[in-house]
Amino acid sequence: MSGIQLVLVTGFIFIGLYFLIRLKKRLLDIILLFSMIAAATVFVLWPNVTNVIANTLGVGRGADLIFYLSILIFWFVALKLYARIRKLEQLFTQIIREDALKNAQTMPENKG
Amino acid sequence: MVNAIIVVDDGSAEPIRKSLADFPVTILRHRTNLGQGAALQTGIVYARKLDADIVITFDADGQHNAEDVAGLIAPIVQNQADIVLGSRFLPESQTRLALSRKFVLQTARLINYLLSGVLLSDAHNGLRALNKTALEKINLTENRMAHASEILFEIKRHELRYIEVPVLIKYTDYSKQKGQSTHDSIKVLFDLVLHKLFK
Repeated sequence: MSGIQLVLVTGFIFIGLYFLIRLKKRLLDIILLFSMIAAATVFVLWPNVTNVIANTLGVGRGADLIFYLSILIFWFVALKLYARIRKLEQLFTQIIREDALKNAQTMPENKG
Repeated sequence: MVNAIIVVDDGSAEPIRKSLADFPVTILRHRTNLGQGAALQTGIVYARKLDADIVITFDADGQHNAEDVAGLIAPIVQNQADIVLGSRFLPESQTRLALSRKFVLQTARLINYLLSGVLLSDAHNGLRALNKTALEKINLTENRMAHASEILFEIKRHELRYIEVPVLIKYTDYSKQKGQSTHDSIKVLFDLVLHKLFK
């Protein structure tokens, strides 16, 4: 096992443990988590596997394929997060607006 | 002519009610800064509660001319439109503006047209009049500057009748300082694209 493989696999194990402790223990989540970590570990220990997959998809190297997929995943996550921020912002706006309307202050001359 | 003036204080550091104590206005204060679109929407919701017949939106940076209000509400009084939009580009408007400003606004107006299907002569004019129908239908969810385009989406969605009337925009040092830079228009475009994506 080379140095980088050791670093990556250790990282995966810690990420797996972290989510196992933090997440709600739904069976589906655990299966998904384990299969992702297993796949990542396999790709790190036997890099040739990614080359084979990449070649069947018409990409030269496995590392390139992973890079392309990362771009897709990055955008997916960014959009998901952005959608959530927008939702929060709308909620926040609603609360501030209700407060403003409740505390509307009419200057004396304008009464009635 | 005007029955009530609503001032929305969008979370200014020093609450505006101190400087407006002698004026016959209603003040709505956001506890934190949300943006112009949010401020307009807060004013709109309050105007609905007042059961207003006509609502005029008026930027507070001194660029608008109170004398334009009469011309603005005329099409509503004559029941020709649900919403009247001020324009600095109609031939009768006396507005003089810098070439770079003109370019940005003209580009923005074409982008607005592509996104909303409503072609106006001006892109971002804060002076507008709404009748009861428009007041009830228009809801702004874009908190910042993209609200101006969102109003066009709302016009299209609710099939509101709209008219533009010439208004004078005064470019003072103060209004230039408070107004939008060319750089800000990029941010607006970004907000608009996301608005379309996450409707």
